[in-house]
Amino acid sequence: MSLSPEAPVAEHLLRDSVTPPSYRIDPAARLRPINWNRVTDEKDLEVWNRLTANFWLPEKVPLSNDIPAWQRMSQEERTLTMRVFTGLTMLDTVQATVGEISQIQDARTEHEEAVYTNIAFMQAVHARSYSSVFSTLTSTREIDEAYAWAVGNDQLQERCKKVLHHYYGDDPLKRKVASTLLSSLLLYAGFYLPLHFSVHATLTNTADMIRLILRDKAVHGYYSGYKFQRGLETRSREEQEEIRVFTYELLEELYELELDYSGALYEPLGLMEDVAVFVRYNANKALMNLGYPARFPAEETEVNPEILAALSPGADENHDFFSGSGSSYVIGKGEDTTDSDWAF
Amino acid sequence: MTTDIMEPTTDGIGARKDYHALNAQLNLFAADGSIQLGKDHEAVEAYLAGHVEPRMIRFDDLEAKIDYLIANEYYEEAPIRAYPWAFVKELYRSAYAHGYRFSTFLGAFKFHAGYSLKTFDGDHYLETFEDRVVSTALFLGRGDEELAGRLVQEMLSGRFQPATPTFLNAGKTQRGELVSCFLLRIEDNLESIGRSVNSALQLSKRGGGVALLLTNLREQGAPIKKIENQASGVVPVMKILEDSFSYANQLGARQGAGAAYLHVHHPDILAFLDTKRENADEKIRIKTLSLGVVIPDVTFELAKRGEDMHLFSPYDVQREYGTALSDLSVTEHYDEMVANPRIGKKTLSARAFFRTIAELQFESGYPYVMFEDTVNAANPLKGWINMSNLCSEILQVNTASDYDNAIGYQQVGRDISCNLGSLNIAAAMASGDLASTVDTAVRGLTSVSELSDIDAVPSIAHGNELSHAIGLGQMNLHGYLASQRIHYGSEEGVDFTNMYFYTVTYHALRASNRISIHRGQAFGDFENSSYADGSYFEKYTERVWEPATARVREVFREAGVDIPTRQDWQELSESVQKHGIYNAYLQAVPPTGSISYINNATASIHPIASKIEIRKEGKLGRVYFPAPHMDNENLEFFKDSYEIGYEKIIDTYAAATQHVDQGLSCTLFFRDTATTRDINKAQIHAWRQGIKTLYYIRLRQMALTGTEVENCVSCEL
Repeated sequence: MSLSPEAPVAEHLLRDSVTPPSYRIDPAARLRPINWNRVTDEKDLEVWNRLTANFWLPEKVPLSNDIPAWQRMSQEERTLTMRVFTGLTMLDTVQATVGEISQIQDARTEHEEAVYTNIAFMQAVHARSYSSVFSTLTSTREIDEAYAWAVGNDQLQERCKKVLHHYYGDDPLKRKVASTLLSSLLLYAGFYLPLHFSVHATLTNTADMIRLILRDKAVHGYYSGYKFQRGLETRSREEQEEIRVFTYELLEELYELELDYSGALYEPLGLMEDVAVFVRYNANKALMNLGYPARFPAEETEVNPEILAALSPGADENHDFFSGSGSSYVIGKGEDTTDSDWAF
Repeated sequence: MTTDIMEPTTDGIGARKDYHALNAQLNLFAADGSIQLGKDHEAVEAYLAGHVEPRMIRFDDLEAKIDYLIANEYYEEAPIRAYPWAFVKELYRSAYAHGYRFSTFLGAFKFHAGYSLKTFDGDHYLETFEDRVVSTALFLGRGDEELAGRLVQEMLSGRFQPATPTFLNAGKTQRGELVSCFLLRIEDNLESIGRSVNSALQLSKRGGGVALLLTNLREQGAPIKKIENQASGVVPVMKILEDSFSYANQLGARQGAGAAYLHVHHPDILAFLDTKRENADEKIRIKTLSLGVVIPDVTFELAKRGEDMHLFSPYDVQREYGTALSDLSVTEHYDEMVANPRIGKKTLSARAFFRTIAELQFESGYPYVMFEDTVNAANPLKGWINMSNLCSEILQVNTASDYDNAIGYQQVGRDISCNLGSLNIAAAMASGDLASTVDTAVRGLTSVSELSDIDAVPSIAHGNELSHAIGLGQMNLHGYLASQRIHYGSEEGVDFTNMYFYTVTYHALRASNRISIHRGQAFGDFENSSYADGSYFEKYTERVWEPATARVREVFREAGVDIPTRQDWQELSESVQKHGIYNAYLQAVPPTGSISYINNATASIHPIASKIEIRKEGKLGRVYFPAPHMDNENLEFFKDSYEIGYEKIIDTYAAATQHVDQGLSCTLFFRDTATTRDINKAQIHAWRQGIKTLYYIRLRQMALTGTEVENCVSCEL
């Protein structure tokens, strides 16, 4: 075996020291700073790069261009929009303050810890971005009413508490399952509305912002699922079976809750049938991320083509620069030019 | 007016529309892996039958319709009454008999959502596509039956398409201006700034975009009334402009849009660029104002040598030279200004500066770039070109205005407006009579110039009166090349572009010369232009231009389009020197967004953005557009801009640029694996190839493996 001379030192370091979150298990252990020059799982670096390139803030989106569209909407439509967005804010608050933070302690690599701090922060940005929509389009009184509704809505409370229970539980893999189901299943019923709007030229800048959020969520769900599968591989056959059963049961519970919650919101406007299809489509997607077979058959997950097409997370749309900033720009990689580039 | 209008059912939030679902299937592969182009045709049918027909108001006959439209102040009366009624009737009859069909859902949707005349409550349509064409032709014909008739034929066959403001507004009583685009100078005083804000508001209300030149504003920290550290620089002015543009729009039809240009050797250049940073403070962050920079050759030379670039105080330059910074060649005076201790300056690394530009382009797509010395070397008029416009294709000379304290004009300077219209290359080649198409287009656009009198901004009206500038553009280059089974950017593709623009240039000059002969008048200051002394024509009379490839020779021969000879140019040169030309500027190639969808053309002379383009706009929502001329058999010729890469785009643009008196909107496309260095290399290449301006930098980020939507056409590489 021809290891480079430093390799034994690195192995030695990894064995004899811990990252800071392990302090709570062993206060006596030596602490190790994160070393991005020794990446053990390339996926960590790939996802970190993607997440940082995709960084954005709601201030970038010219939401005020949506004011005329908002004023054309009926009171009923506005109330629905406010509630859907407050519901999304609730879920993103759970993710930012507990869901993603709680994954850090379970990290398999030190770089995964760093990735989850980024994910947690972006969840906080998402939670804040709905507030940007509110403050741009509506009044303080309406905003306060929507928040009172969220605190008073039993189904919304139960959806959150169902996953929170596992975040504070003992099993790291159950934490991952709960988190993946929240970001790949529960959130999407809320996203349906702005996507539907954008197809019909209503609140298009808000929809742009939602597409930025979706771009992030797609990566978050994928990454959590990936880490879940790496963790699952280390478990015994019996434990694996237990987790599988747990996953499908939790999915079932959350799916039922989702139908109740979204039904109350969307049913009066005749959209629930489409929303249910969309939820099932995303439930399957969550399972795929976790490495499990689909729960719902293909014919029950045929999402409207216009919504499906609007969902694509790639930044390939050709927007009209004069009405919005679009959802395609990224922070670039800097590289200096060299003399040969200037040889003319 | 018939009374049995089917009342459309109200569209609540829950209503799904079948045509949207059909259209969206374009973006999803069929089970056999083919692109579902047929679904889009079904979407057109569903849209016209289900949405348009029930809302179209029908009349007993044409006379009843026209009378109703005039009586109810929908149509202006005079442009119609300029012709005998029998002619008008026959013109409409022939237009309806032409058998026009929308080729795509987006074309049909965009026409009805954006262009067709609607009842004042917005609920019903009063015009079909043919109606809009005839109304535009009658308006631009100004009583000339032959011109009106030719315009109808050119527009219905798709060969010539006026730009949005003209096509949208012509003939209507309640309308904005016919002109697309305005460029204003701002001088270094509060009166000029105040007047410019007013002008920006007035012009946004009336038409398309407004670009403003900030180069002459004194930098942050410059003295005011000799007291140092008083001036606030360009950024607060940008903020005021941005808010002004969001306030004004054209009867709600188009959002006000503006651009600001700054010379890169202005001391505020970094602050100017930083307004587009993702994490800029709200007070200085610019969201919707577009930015452009003016780069002289000397900046490239400095970067080449790895040196610092000096930034010069416009306040001091004005005092030292008695000339505004925008009106002198920085390349020519660079060493002199560096050596002058009375000119305040700052320095920064030229290479680092280019890198900063590229970083900003990654984050925001801005700034546009104008290569100052290239532009001025090719300028046929006397004067210095110091800015471009919102789409970076307008390049004309301007002069400053002076104002009194009440911001009235003491001296009316010359500002720029430009009206545009584009030829569809495929349709124009198919007719075989390119000369006639270009002639009609030039006459139609000249009408737009003469029918425009922007009295709210005297410097614009004055400039237009002097120049009658027009911008004949082109679109559907990629679509046409693919239909001839020629790859975009290949040797044959570049060869065709060269010969096509060469031919169009000849016919455009000839048409303008004919107008001059007819009117007995050339554009103002013609005698000081390079047309007057014949030097403009030397590149065409001193060598022979002909196709370099057999395929392109064949394409022209098959189409029956003659390529002008040296002899033709010599004769034209003599006639122009004797009689002049009527239009100071003739060509400019715009990006053609909306009109290329209606016209079923690939945009401008760009490659396609995608086989199935996802188009998102304020008024339309998210809609899918298949590349024109594409079918499941010729897909190989429809590589997208990202696959084609910037070199081939620049080569194609360079071939066209050498014949175009103004500019061409040129967007460069990169995958997200590109770095700032790749963008800089592209800029260096563009500058070296003689490109005049660069428009947006666009990036495409592919979905992370594992997160893409299955079967999505636009997700495919």
